[in-house]
Amino acid sequence: MENMIMVQDIKKYYKVAKREKGMAASLRYLFNRKYEIKKAVDDVSFSIKRGEIVGFIGPNGAGKSTTIKILSGILYPDAGDVNIKGYIPYKQRKQYVKNIGVVFGQKSQLNWDLPLIESFELMKFIYKIPQEKYEKNLKQFSELLDMEDFINQPVRQLSLGQRMRGDIVAALLHSPEIVFLDEPTIGLDVVAKEKIREFIRYINAKEKTTIIFTTHDMQDIEKVCDRLIIIDKGKKIYDGSIEQIKNKYANSKTIEILLENDEKEIQTFDLNVAPMNTVMENLFAQKNIKDISICEPEIDGIIRDIYEGRVVLDDPTAEGN
Amino acid sequence: MGEMRITLQSIKMSFRTRLQYRVDTLVATLAVFIRESANIIAIYLALLKFDRINGWNVNEMLFLYSMLFLTYAFVVSLFADLRQFSDTIREGRFDRLLVRPRGLLLQLILNNADLIATAGHGTLGILLFVISAGRVGIHWNAATILYYIAAIISGILIQGGMFIIFSSLCFYFVETNSIRSIFYWNMRKFAGYPISIYHKVIQVVLIYVVPFAFVNYFPAQYLLRKADMANYNEVYIYIAPVVGVVVYAAAYLFWRVSVRRYYSTGN
Repeated sequence: MENMIMVQDIKKYYKVAKREKGMAASLRYLFNRKYEIKKAVDDVSFSIKRGEIVGFIGPNGAGKSTTIKILSGILYPDAGDVNIKGYIPYKQRKQYVKNIGVVFGQKSQLNWDLPLIESFELMKFIYKIPQEKYEKNLKQFSELLDMEDFINQPVRQLSLGQRMRGDIVAALLHSPEIVFLDEPTIGLDVVAKEKIREFIRYINAKEKTTIIFTTHDMQDIEKVCDRLIIIDKGKKIYDGSIEQIKNKYANSKTIEILLENDEKEIQTFDLNVAPMNTVMENLFAQKNIKDISICEPEIDGIIRDIYEGRVVLDDPTAEGN
Repeated sequence: MGEMRITLQSIKMSFRTRLQYRVDTLVATLAVFIRESANIIAIYLALLKFDRINGWNVNEMLFLYSMLFLTYAFVVSLFADLRQFSDTIREGRFDRLLVRPRGLLLQLILNNADLIATAGHGTLGILLFVISAGRVGIHWNAATILYYIAAIISGILIQGGMFIIFSSLCFYFVETNSIRSIFYWNMRKFAGYPISIYHKVIQVVLIYVVPFAFVNYFPAQYLLRKADMANYNEVYIYIAPVVGVVVYAAAYLFWRVSVRRYYSTGN
């Protein structure tokens, strides 16, 4: 399949004024500022094919949002190339953005005081959506996201989950081929999250929409994404499937044991210390076991280990590409 | 055509928003009306004592002031979103505009229109015009009416252009409210009186820097022909209806250049 998004060695550095504490330093700051360079994005490359759903994760401040902004045409990269569907986003803004939908989970684009439908109408005019297509999309989306009940309520009266669903619909009414979702599940309860995940999967399956998805919720990634890109300190540190990362980096297994006397025990073993074989032998030798189950490692834990530097990843350029 | 639809939807949304809070809208409109009337009352009281200010009697003064109110009534709705443009940037709302396939100013114009201020300033402007227009000896004919309408439009564009320029400064400095209040709001207060009463420096600022003189003083001179016009070049009177286009075009260019900075720095 063709490449939809191609990102080659992009860099984005910010100049941050350095502030020191104290009165004298504050005065000095007024006249003589010292700057330090913050590398928000540092030599990141990847390519994404049509119809892929890619999870984009990393700790706060890793450069996720900056990357999304470069991809959606809001920022110029300082170096490197971006080509999306033949466009250079930040150079051909008006032409390019017709093809994308962007959801900033933390910044709603809906009019706070008015019913959702009014904001959708504005989108219809902004994107020149033909009436027929607009009605069809709106009907379909509101059914899928259970929005019929609240589509005529002022946005300020909606719950966060309802509002987010509204925001997602507003970004997708023009049937964009590429969708950027920047933390679309932030702060939502399990039910609302599940609704949104289902919807994203559906749109992807039906329209072959290419989706980039940032989140801090590993469930989102596991349930929605085919592929995972992890960035940290502006660098890409992993690019590949979720299975791969699980298999490769899950060194510890958790074993749940039910003893003869119906007592439960949970133990965690590091397979680097002793292989499963030895672990089992020891267990059977020591205890009377009625039942045993081995829990798969949670991706959550693995990612935490990666962030905290307990797991060192291979050279990312060797993978996924 | 599509542009028109966006504008219409924007204004419809602003109306609907205000209708959500009917009482508040009414009270706030009244408050704006009373606040602005205070300036007028001050002029009125002063003229009870002095009779004339630099040759201008009370009706002529009210006529001069009415042009400020009438133009501002449009400005405050058309360019409302540019008043707190630094907030728009800081809150990331500008990013939102960038990912839509439309002109940036087009999306800002008429968005969040301040209909309260429009109603307050508009009512007062119309009221002052009605009171004064028949009593200042203007011979209303096709030429003067046409000139008057062109001057009002020009006045709207001059102030709109200033709003755009102040907003463009947000791409260079984070906070620009103080520059705006010094140059826009203070100068607007000066423009309530015939500029000939001020020190030369202030006159120069009002003509060439923040050209409020072309919003009301020179257009009013075309219609009233007061003696103090002798201090200025006649040409100002005739160019007043087109100064707006020039200021607005310059503002637009400055905006285009300034927006480019945003792409490299973000918010």
